[in-house]
Amino acid sequence: MSDFTWVTLQYESGDWDSAPLVPANIIDTIARYTNIDVAPAGIVVPLSSPDLLRFPFAFLTGHLPVRFTSAERDRLVEWIGRGGFLFVDDHNHDIDGAFHKTVTEELSRALGPMVDVPNDSPLYRSFFTFAEGPPATSHELNGWGDNLVHKHLKAVMREGRIAALFSNKDYSSEWGYHPDNKRFQSVDNTKFAVNVVVYALTS
Amino acid sequence: MNARDLVRRARVALGVAALASATLWGLAACFATLALGAMGDWAFGLPLAVRRVLFPLAIASFAVKALHVLWRARRVREPGAVALWLEERVPALDYALVTAAERSPSLPRIDALERAAAAVEFVAPATGEVARRLATPIGIAAASLVLLLFLPPGIVSRVRSPAAGDALDHPVAAGAAVDRLVPIVARVSPPAYSGLPAQSLDDPSAIGGLVASAVTVEGRGSAEGLSARLGEASLAVTGSGARWSIRFAMPRHPVALRLADGARDRLVILEPLPDSAPVVGLLAPAKDAVFREPAGTVELSAEVRDDFGVADAWFEYIVSSGEGESFTFRSGVLGRVEAHGAQSTALRATLHLEALALKPGDLVHLRAVARDRNDVAGPDTGVSETRTLRIARRGEYDSIAVEGAPPPDADKSVLSERMLILLTEDLQRRRPKLKHDVLVAEAGSIAREQAKLRKQVSKVIFARLGADAESEESQALDDSAPPKTPEEMLRAADAATNVGTSALDFEGDETPVVAVNRTLLEAYNAMWDAERELQIAEPAKALPFMRAALDAIQRARAAERMYLRGRPPVAIVDLDKVRLAGKRDDAGGGSRAPRLAVDSSAARRVRRLDGALALLRANPAAAVDSLLLLRVDAIAPDPAFAAALGIAIDSLRAGHDATAAIARARRAAGGAPLAQRAGTPWDGAW
Repeated sequence: MSDFTWVTLQYESGDWDSAPLVPANIIDTIARYTNIDVAPAGIVVPLSSPDLLRFPFAFLTGHLPVRFTSAERDRLVEWIGRGGFLFVDDHNHDIDGAFHKTVTEELSRALGPMVDVPNDSPLYRSFFTFAEGPPATSHELNGWGDNLVHKHLKAVMREGRIAALFSNKDYSSEWGYHPDNKRFQSVDNTKFAVNVVVYALTS
Repeated sequence: MNARDLVRRARVALGVAALASATLWGLAACFATLALGAMGDWAFGLPLAVRRVLFPLAIASFAVKALHVLWRARRVREPGAVALWLEERVPALDYALVTAAERSPSLPRIDALERAAAAVEFVAPATGEVARRLATPIGIAAASLVLLLFLPPGIVSRVRSPAAGDALDHPVAAGAAVDRLVPIVARVSPPAYSGLPAQSLDDPSAIGGLVASAVTVEGRGSAEGLSARLGEASLAVTGSGARWSIRFAMPRHPVALRLADGARDRLVILEPLPDSAPVVGLLAPAKDAVFREPAGTVELSAEVRDDFGVADAWFEYIVSSGEGESFTFRSGVLGRVEAHGAQSTALRATLHLEALALKPGDLVHLRAVARDRNDVAGPDTGVSETRTLRIARRGEYDSIAVEGAPPPDADKSVLSERMLILLTEDLQRRRPKLKHDVLVAEAGSIAREQAKLRKQVSKVIFARLGADAESEESQALDDSAPPKTPEEMLRAADAATNVGTSALDFEGDETPVVAVNRTLLEAYNAMWDAERELQIAEPAKALPFMRAALDAIQRARAAERMYLRGRPPVAIVDLDKVRLAGKRDDAGGGSRAPRLAVDSSAARRVRRLDGALALLRANPAAAVDSLLLLRVDAIAPDPAFAAALGIAIDSLRAGHDATAAIARARRAAGGAPLAQRAGTPWDGAW
């Protein structure tokens, strides 16, 4: 049995490493709530690397425009075609921002059109129950970024399951703190990450 | 008229008759070929390929037969042969004509021969013989023409001008019921922008065409009671005369067209051919670049190609400004060209950096974009690779091209030099009232704190030098080992950089290691001295050294810094400590299983293929339908398998031996053997 490993994707354009604290925090959350055998530290994998094919889940974030190279695009298509699950989060929290525009364009071009994930999707019940859909982030509620509370996440579907999940909610900021500080929060705001990982591994 | 003139005239007449005979025999062969072909098409429904060669075959038969007749009549050019031919038809000439025609006029008795030949009537018998010979080809040609005239008109047109889509022209046998689903004809009209011709397909099992092509499917009989579904959508079936038809646009994705006539139905696959997006290559700039100043120009060059023609193309840029969590973006286009449908075009422009009002640290993301002429289902957009132009930050070239990273948190357990001075001053003030042993104990305590702080300074020095920060200081704090003198410390520091031990001149040619660490080394030395004074309970003597150390630290603090960016610290989560420590009251129950192995869709296709093949013997029609639906689903993910399956389906529908085609499809469905297990290595449950 192999450990689940949190993979942060490194791409040639943009700032792929803009949320360095997210992996440890989510690994902590996965261990805190589940029995999933998880590696204690995340790893960084270049998007164009064949090593990506060894992992079922990968996280991609950033602020700057995302332009995949041909090798990155080909590897992404191959990986998704072989069952990979990509979780993309807009660190800008801005649908008018360059990250949103460019990464959605790249994903649509490489993987196909994106659709709204309905709020009754199995994604929101895969571990914890989020009856209202994706949990809002403090960035949304405080009016930062595009000053919108996004009702839906978006996704590229493959045979009825989410293959690439896209969020404008800026979970990269919401989850970007050291896991030791989780004790200061009355409600753990990283629980949704468990749903994403469990969905990626079981759906 | 003498005998020679007579033979000459007969020769001309026979030559004309031979030409007429050749023509008539050629026509007879031609018409007979067409009539036989038409009869065969009427009886068996000849394939288009066979019908297409009928007319050329008829022309060829005309030529062959006419040449054959002319070859047989070749001796008409010889006067002797003509004379003999006449002698054969008129025995009364008794060779007088041959003799007179061949003998010289100066010979004796020639006049008598001429008179004998002229006295015999030979024109009528010869003419009659010619007429009899021409009657046969005329009869054959006439009979063939009559046969063609009385055949059904559809048959004649299928033979005269065979074309794809004329399957419906073939007449139904008298008394036979009309099958409205067989045959059908599909006519595909590609969008105008493509410039492709329309095409017709006879009784197809799959209809291919560009997305948004106008497709018409026709069949025999009335439209009443017929239904058609395209995927989940119903289509209107209209009737005109003795034919029904449906019209729709070629969808974007493969789908099955289901035609139903009562309990009977028929599946036809719609196989859309996508219009490829333009292929754009950015030639210049060839690579990413960093500019010292936001000034100057950058030449841009790109090439664009498209299968049906490029509409327009341009360069696109995005300027990113800011850092951290605060970014702003600007975008724009330049160098737009209208390609007017050319299949390839070049794109050139000049980017003026001043015009973009760039600031240090700004990024320019640059690419070329092109659209094709697809005004029906598009336009499709193609983009090039992206190049990034960066404006260097100020001072970037003075040090190294890296971004800053925060220094590590300070060790809060160590007392500051300022606090140690305060403690020492307080001890010095209380010294007259203290017993010696108390003084020694308190001074020793401050000395140990001073040693801790000295150790931290030492760590900073050796961390800068790339050496093991613990080694020197741990050795220094070891009571069993003699403490190093400042000179020994500097030598150790210098050795760590392999500079050598000779140059320790603080004033003159000091070494880089000393220059970089000079202030901290001063603090380090002063702390050593202060520590020694405190250990012998001399706080007053220690204070000057401690103040010197503080002054050196202050100077070091004010010095210009370089923070090297490296990997962020990797946080290792203590899994055992946090495992299941969270409240899971709102977690959903139920068992979970790892998701299916990767590429399960290919395995499902194999299973479906095996199921359809198992059905083939018992219910061939249902098996073909299953294969058709399988092909619809396989076109996008596995085109090689879909193509092989299409050949197998066509063979089955034509009633041919499909064994080889099915075997190829089965091999294609299996795919290449996997060299290693791919996809998810995680296969546990919890």
